[in-house]
Amino acid sequence: MTGRERVNRMFMRQDQDRIPRHDSFWPETIARWQREGLQWDQSDALRLLGSDFQVLCWAWPAPFPGQREVLDQDDETETVRDDWGGIGRFWKGRSGTPEHIGFGCDSPEAWHKTYRPAMLAAANQINIPLAVRRYREARTLGKWTYLSGVEGFEALRRLIGDETSLCSMIEEPEWIRDIVNVHTEIVLRWFEDLLAAGVEPDGLWIYGDMAYNHATMCSPAMYRDLVWPSHQRIAKWAHDHNLRFIYHTDGRISGVLDLLIEAGVDCLQPIEAKAGMDIREFAPTHGDRLAMFGNIDVMKMTTNDQTVIEEEIRTKFAAGMATRGYAYHSDHSVPPQVSWDTYCTIIDLVDRYGQY
Amino acid sequence: MPPPLNDLTAAVAAGKRKDTARLTQELLDSGMEPQKIVEDGLVPGMAIIGEKFKNNEIFVPEMLIAARSMKGALALLEPHLVEAGVKPEYTVVIGTVQGDLHDIGKNLIGMMWKGAGFEVVDLGTNVAPETYLQAAIEHKPQIVGLSALLTTTMPAMRETVKLLRESDQVDAKIMVGGAPITPTFAEEIGADGYAADAGSAVEVAQGLVAA
Ligand code: B12
Repeated sequence: MTGRERVNRMFMRQDQDRIPRHDSFWPETIARWQREGLQWDQSDALRLLGSDFQVLCWAWPAPFPGQREVLDQDDETETVRDDWGGIGRFWKGRSGTPEHIGFGCDSPEAWHKTYRPAMLAAANQINIPLAVRRYREARTLGKWTYLSGVEGFEALRRLIGDETSLCSMIEEPEWIRDIVNVHTEIVLRWFEDLLAAGVEPDGLWIYGDMAYNHATMCSPAMYRDLVWPSHQRIAKWAHDHNLRFIYHTDGRISGVLDLLIEAGVDCLQPIEAKAGMDIREFAPTHGDRLAMFGNIDVMKMTTNDQTVIEEEIRTKFAAGMATRGYAYHSDHSVPPQVSWDTYCTIIDLVDRYGQY
Repeated sequence: MPPPLNDLTAAVAAGKRKDTARLTQELLDSGMEPQKIVEDGLVPGMAIIGEKFKNNEIFVPEMLIAARSMKGALALLEPHLVEAGVKPEYTVVIGTVQGDLHDIGKNLIGMMWKGAGFEVVDLGTNVAPETYLQAAIEHKPQIVGLSALLTTTMPAMRETVKLLRESDQVDAKIMVGGAPITPTFAEEIGADGYAADAGSAVEVAQGLVAA
């Protein structure tokens, strides 16, 4: 069975030879593993795992593509004005998302005057020839191919900042709706261009961290009002093009599972265990309508204790596989406290317990 | 007739920025002591917010809006408090530990502590252990609060606690929190208090300063 068949059958809740697999790693993890025996880079780890998925592109529309002005720097960090008009501090020579210091787009006025028109006027930033090449290659390898990018929540955070976006959900809801709409519009337009170039992907894998350890950032009602329509729109576009919709969010999202299903999300990833998400609890209740991708606790992995990890994998796989709609992934990304030896053991365990 | 303090409490809890400012001004104009406005009007409003947040009755946006209302009211009151020689009884220093840039949770904690009437010195994110130490010596806080959101920055939290403990110039209780932090870890590194959320953080801090 090819990866593509396997994942498609997972979505249809049909029998597979084994569960589909994929994973993510911190760059520091890969650096550690290279010292401990990993031959090559992250793609080598994915090859050994037996990943069934291949990304084709990344879509995160910026108002000023390519802008990168260094404003200040010290030994560790560099302060830069970026493509979003925001000022951020970046780590030099190591990974980590920038700290947002200031945001050019800090009011509805700035949005309407400068950022909105710039976003709408900017050219498609997807590398289409690369996506086409990756697509052809992945097809011969039998991989399940997907288009990737971010949704409205994540777009808001990057463009206007966490605090402004969260406060504006209450004080300026029309502004929030408009940003989310414009963002979604552009992402789908870019994806259309890709399809027109002859790429026929199997799905979308869209990122948006709408929750944290205790709950969703905003209430389910506010999500329903402001962001849900864009999720529904993405799902509809995907389904109209015969694609599946994988939605990535961190955090405890038990409060909106039903809304996600109603929007048309087909699969949830990575299902953060540390935030209290447990597929043993909700695969039985929601697994028929929502495929589950992940949930293997990285905190358990960091114990580097086989007994602990085996119990985690055995019991969660059993719950997920009972629905036929389950794929392996860590519950976010594997951190550098996990040794290469341990990860090799994890690959064995995924193999052992993931057979139908 | 001045508006009842209850109205002010309700306005803060509902995040009504303009109402909060207006009611605060009216109470001030009526001659009420600024300290009474803070203690019996604003602080109870933030306590309601903390409780509702803990129970998932409200979420981060409502919490931020309430804190903004509180901040607006405090700005109006500040000159009067200074004039009356009223200083917050307790000072806290807060920051996100070295290597870590997550600040939403830390900011909420800071706002809630401010809302409980503490003076809050916010050191920002990616704060080196030595910076905490300097700030603790300079501001003489009753509490130092450390936030960490990454398992990889938990060691920096441990190191900071150690450094603060070793100094004979620091006599502060240490509180820790953040998504990966557990009560067990807090105890293991020698912190005095842990809170899982911004509502509980106020109760724990009040307990610590009273002890
Ligand atoms: C938003 C977010 C970001 C934003 C941060 C924006 C900002 N301004 O803070 C951005 C995109 C920048 C980001 C970056 C990264 N992130 Co991040 N992020 C999150 C996310 C989704 C939510 C965190 C949040 O804002 N929560 C909302 C607030 C309200 O909650 P809170 O912080 O937990 O705070 C509450 C309590 O913990 C407590 N509390 C917090 N601090 C304190 C302090 C004291 C004294 C007390 C008493 C209580 C207390 O009270 C708060 C209020 O109730 C979490 C997921 C999660 N499950 O938490 C991942 C998460 C924390 N991030 C993670 C990662 C891996 C990263 C990156 C390394 C990713 C990367 N490769 O770029 C970078 C690291 C950058 C850096 N060096 O710090 C991982 C950490 C995993 C691990 N093993 O450690 C998480 C858990 C995601 C995951 N599922 O794996 N992230």
